[in-house]
Amino acid sequence: MGIRCAWIAEGCPWPLNRLRFRYFGLLLDVVKPLMPLFKLMLTLSRRNWMRRLGAALVLLLCTGQSSVCAQGSSAGVQEFDPQAFPGYVVDDVVVPVPSEVFSVLDKLGEPNWKQEIRKLDMPNTGDRTLLALMFGTVVAEGFVAVQAEDRQSVQDIGREVINLSKNLGLSKSVLPHAQAILDAADRDDWSAIRKEFDRTQKTVQDQMEKMKDADLSQCVSMGGWLRGTTTVTSIITKSFSADRAELLNQPLLVEHFIAAISKMPEGTRKHGQVVKILAGLKDVLARMESAVDGFSQESVEKIGGVCSSLLTDIRTGK
Amino acid sequence: MNLNPNLLRRSFLTSACAAVLAVAGSALATVDDAHSFAMEAAQSYVDQGFIVREDYWNGEVKSGQKLMIRHQLFKGNEYAFWLGTANDGVDLDLKIYDEKGKSIEMDRKVDKNSMFVSVRVNPPKTGTYTLVFSLKSHSEKSVFWALAYGYR
Repeated sequence: MGIRCAWIAEGCPWPLNRLRFRYFGLLLDVVKPLMPLFKLMLTLSRRNWMRRLGAALVLLLCTGQSSVCAQGSSAGVQEFDPQAFPGYVVDDVVVPVPSEVFSVLDKLGEPNWKQEIRKLDMPNTGDRTLLALMFGTVVAEGFVAVQAEDRQSVQDIGREVINLSKNLGLSKSVLPHAQAILDAADRDDWSAIRKEFDRTQKTVQDQMEKMKDADLSQCVSMGGWLRGTTTVTSIITKSFSADRAELLNQPLLVEHFIAAISKMPEGTRKHGQVVKILAGLKDVLARMESAVDGFSQESVEKIGGVCSSLLTDIRTGK
Repeated sequence: MNLNPNLLRRSFLTSACAAVLAVAGSALATVDDAHSFAMEAAQSYVDQGFIVREDYWNGEVKSGQKLMIRHQLFKGNEYAFWLGTANDGVDLDLKIYDEKGKSIEMDRKVDKNSMFVSVRVNPPKTGTYTLVFSLKSHSEKSVFWALAYGYR
């Protein structure tokens, strides 16, 4: 993942919001001319060498520009925070895999993971946006099945991964991973399977970005997050505690998905499922932001309801 | 001396392609090397039960320039972050702050060859954390880096 350079004041990184607002007007003038170059870089794939050369060029340009900024606003820097100085924000967000949350739930009790596995019955479709969303949910289902140590489910999911990757035109890249999942399932090697699901998702997302389908890559992430969060809320609801409910404090990820949708091409942004997901994510974000004193059981159920409904829509293609 | 223009053009194109490939190859090698060093740092943690994530951040940055990443952490997990570089003679720094800007407790381990630094944290709350890091080279103007993480 490369640097996506959004210029911002940092150093000791707070008070970030305050600095961001105070500097924003000045920074906008400085950064605005570079925006086309940033946008060009963002459209290039992660591993693209051109992007790296572009990144180097932008870094050079920004270095020049930041010295201009420092001269123009040195009094401001002193006023707000003597330790604050220009830096870069890497705005790529690495979305945690469901098993990161699941491992905490395991430590807080003994959830009945088998109960959380959902049967896969994906409709046949050529709709790539829907396929990408489905792919994310299926990989996340794999993490649930690993947690349940359910060999049959893992094998079924492995086969579904192959089917979806064929429909996405990515079977060549995915087949080795899917085979590794099936082989590890034969050995009940759960940690290897977990690793392989993570690899599968990364491979698919990297391939999508190479093919300039960054929007589909985001759909994979969103599908996975929705599936993972449906499981987390289900478990918390069955055995509510403040510690478990706190696991839903994930505004960064929801904000990231909302921002990602807003940057998608119009065709994807106006896709029926994506429109519904955006509305659902805004609802979920509002509930996260209002949970200042922690999540109530009711808010956990509401978040679960939203995610579960979106998941059902994805999996039925409605 | 008569030179065939087609031959000249072909030679020029071949040289240009070779130069482009060499530059691209070298860029790939260095960024990938940074990740390799991060993974080298991760090895001892894997032995302790950490699960290494496949996804990671990487790039090239001006020497000494600070970078910031926001990341979701879950209370109850222990996390390890591994910052690696492909350049020799680099001072690595990595700090992790909570939402209020307070540095969270951590164990830090620096490679004797300064190719990576490892930081271990136990997040006190579930939420957004900020990673601030820099790589200061004694000889290079820019540095390749990779930041990976694992949990247990």
